[in-house]
Amino acid sequence: MLNETKTGQKLVILMGIGITALVVGTFAYYILANPTIELFDMISIPIILIIILTSSYIIYDRAKNIKKGLPAQDERLKIAGYKAGYYGFIAAIWSAVGSNMLSIILFDEELRGGLVTAAVVLISGITFMLAYYYFSRKGE
Amino acid sequence: MKTRIKELRARYDMTQEDLARNVGARRETIVFLEKGKYNPSLKLAHDIAKALNTKIDELFIFEE
Repeated sequence: MLNETKTGQKLVILMGIGITALVVGTFAYYILANPTIELFDMISIPIILIIILTSSYIIYDRAKNIKKGLPAQDERLKIAGYKAGYYGFIAAIWSAVGSNMLSIILFDEELRGGLVTAAVVLISGITFMLAYYYFSRKGE
Repeated sequence: MKTRIKELRARYDMTQEDLARNVGARRETIVFLEKGKYNPSLKLAHDIAKALNTKIDELFIFEE
């Protein structure tokens, strides 16, 4: 049972490394294929960086624990993940409404659909990441 | 909530990492438990009590 769990955890880590490598590869190919970078592309860069940095940290942290014979994730971190997911969800809803509203107030112009999507992913991603970090370090 | 985890762990010459490995938790979780900053699930409390050869109600001290 314990070995099965460890195998599963190692598989998750390998999948994480594979997905991160694919994201980095796709990103590099996209940048190299487009000599001129537009505003929309500029916004997508932090999103990709967030995905890469977060996944790299999670993979490193889990691998470090598995190496020591400890579980990659325990009940406290699962709860931290659920709480962070809740805050990420709230941030996604508010950013979907707020980003467009802010654009109208500041620039008197509605945001393009793609930019709203980018704002939602970026803000909810950052919120999730920060909330997860906070709850995993806070204890309760 | 106070716990006697640290005291019992020292009695059995067990490190936080040893206890964490025994009960299938991360070391940080044991740190938070010892500081009284985390309320464990009944299963984790039972596993820790078992690992330290004691009972749950002797391990965790609840204060009103």
